[in-house]
Amino acid sequence: MSIHIEKLNYVYQSGTPFSHRALTDVSLDIADNTYTAIIGHTGSGKSTLLQHLNGLLKPTSGSLTVENNKITAETKNKELNDLRRHVGFVFQFPEAQLFEETVLKDIAFAPKNFGKSDEEAEQIAVKMAKLVGLPDSVLQKSPFELSGGQMRRVAIAGVLAMEPQILVLDEPTAGLDPKGRLEMMEMFDRLHKEQHLTIILVTHQMNDVANYADHVIVMEKGRVIADSQPAEIFSDPEWLKAHHLGLPQTTAFAAKLQQQGVPFKTLPLTEAQLAAQLADMMNEQGGGLRG
Amino acid sequence: MDKMLLGRYINGDSLIHRMDPRAKLFLSFYFIVIVFLCNNWQTYVLMAALVLLFIKLSDISLGFFIKGVRPLIWLILFTVLLQIFFSSGGNVYWQWGPFTVTDRGLLNAVFVFCRFVLIIFMSTLLTLTTTPIEISDGLESLLKPLTKIKVPVYEIALMLSIALRFVPTLMDETTKIMNAQRARGVNFGEGSLIKQIKSVIPLLIPLFVSSFNRAEDLATAMEARGYHGGEGRTKYRKQEWKQNDTIGVILFIVLTAALIFLRS
Ligand SMILES: Nc1ncnc2c1ncn2[C@@H]1O[C@H](COP(=O)(O)OP(=O)(O)OP(=O)(O)O)[C@@H](O)[C@H]1O
Ligand SMILES: [Mg+2]
Repeated sequence: MSIHIEKLNYVYQSGTPFSHRALTDVSLDIADNTYTAIIGHTGSGKSTLLQHLNGLLKPTSGSLTVENNKITAETKNKELNDLRRHVGFVFQFPEAQLFEETVLKDIAFAPKNFGKSDEEAEQIAVKMAKLVGLPDSVLQKSPFELSGGQMRRVAIAGVLAMEPQILVLDEPTAGLDPKGRLEMMEMFDRLHKEQHLTIILVTHQMNDVANYADHVIVMEKGRVIADSQPAEIFSDPEWLKAHHLGLPQTTAFAAKLQQQGVPFKTLPLTEAQLAAQLADMMNEQGGGLRG
Repeated sequence: MDKMLLGRYINGDSLIHRMDPRAKLFLSFYFIVIVFLCNNWQTYVLMAALVLLFIKLSDISLGFFIKGVRPLIWLILFTVLLQIFFSSGGNVYWQWGPFTVTDRGLLNAVFVFCRFVLIIFMSTLLTLTTTPIEISDGLESLLKPLTKIKVPVYEIALMLSIALRFVPTLMDETTKIMNAQRARGVNFGEGSLIKQIKSVIPLLIPLFVSSFNRAEDLATAMEARGYHGGEGRTKYRKQEWKQNDTIGVILFIVLTAALIFLRS
């Protein structure tokens, strides 16, 4: 499913003394089966934009089209249901949404809401629990007895159980330990590659952008200020710094090497790319770098 | 929820903002009492003039105050309609069964409306110019004499300030959880009554869970920092009685005298 956003504006509490413009003239396209990262300084409007993608917010003006669903300020709330079924949304700290007696029931909650029978919903739930790496032994436990990381998995399984075509992730790894974070990001990557989910990820982790995304959108003060590929965005450290953004670890390391005179053609984004480029250079110079 | 104005503070440095919260609290309560002294045009005009003067002094636009009336508009209309249709005395304009519209009734309705608006404006002024913490500190020190008769004033004030502190947090949390459950296919406020009641469960349980967790964290944090009841705790924020507080009190004394003189 592709997403097309045109001249979207959003004002919080519009028409009150507290009105606050959060998005200004946002226009962008997200193609089917891509992995898009949205980055930007805190308060730049990333979460606000995401909430439009499944109709939690409606544009104040402008429009948003997901496949054939066009959403404008006039769209009725009832019509949003169809959109929500296709767009799974993992909120920041999603474990706050757990409420059922057992893990299994909680995961099965969304499919039941969208019209699946109890048995079907449970089957899906079991499958999704496996997919996010939850052991069978926890399925009958109360979600509130689990560890934070496990609760996070239950919540994510609960969203995947809707079997969405688009998965929207708002800082899904915030507050996890490094291992948990890696596992989670690898899991989203698998979903993207194997189940062909379109993924839209908001993150402050430039490493994740470099490792997984093929499309980057940079936001600042409610506007889109850049819309391109990771390699291009990260090729300009000065520009990033001016907009309060960092470099991926590998790229930062390579940039330092470059200052020391190592001639990179393009700054590498991932460890694999760095290794490949260094190997190329060594081959060209006949191992001269080593000395 | 976002539209609730009562209870929102607007930062500022006006004469009213700088008043001692104790003075503001006391005078606001006092104002509500003396509004009931009003019973004719002159007295209402006098009170309205005073409220407008305070609003002017607070540097906050009148729009905020008018918006503050909105959440209570049904209550006001209901009371006003009661006055119009059910008061007796004076010239009868219209009568049908138990309903009578008289000139006295109409006049009373207008007065009741004014009384509501005046009280709302004044309490909105208090909450717009005073932070919740200042209000609860102010209450604590106004109620201090009650500790003599074993009223747990410190604890009440602490509970109040914690509650006030967590109102916005709880509201944010509610919006967040509602959004998360909406994304999972819950339609709040739609469908049959039973469906609507059922849809509250996925909202309330997470809210309770997070509130209890928060309360526990807060209690631990307070104990870890040595909290052991309110007696003898000193305050970070000092309350100072200043000249404009005295002027305010004098203004109200004069006002009371004028009201008693003008009322019929
Ligand atoms: N419910 C709300 N009411 C009013 N203003 C809001 C609301 N939610 C967000 N805002 C404002 O809108 C702007 C954008 O907020 P948003 O949450 O989209 O930022 P963000 O890019 O997701 O930031 P972060 O990286 O910190 O999550 C901010 O200035 C914020 O203060
Ligand atoms: Mg955000």
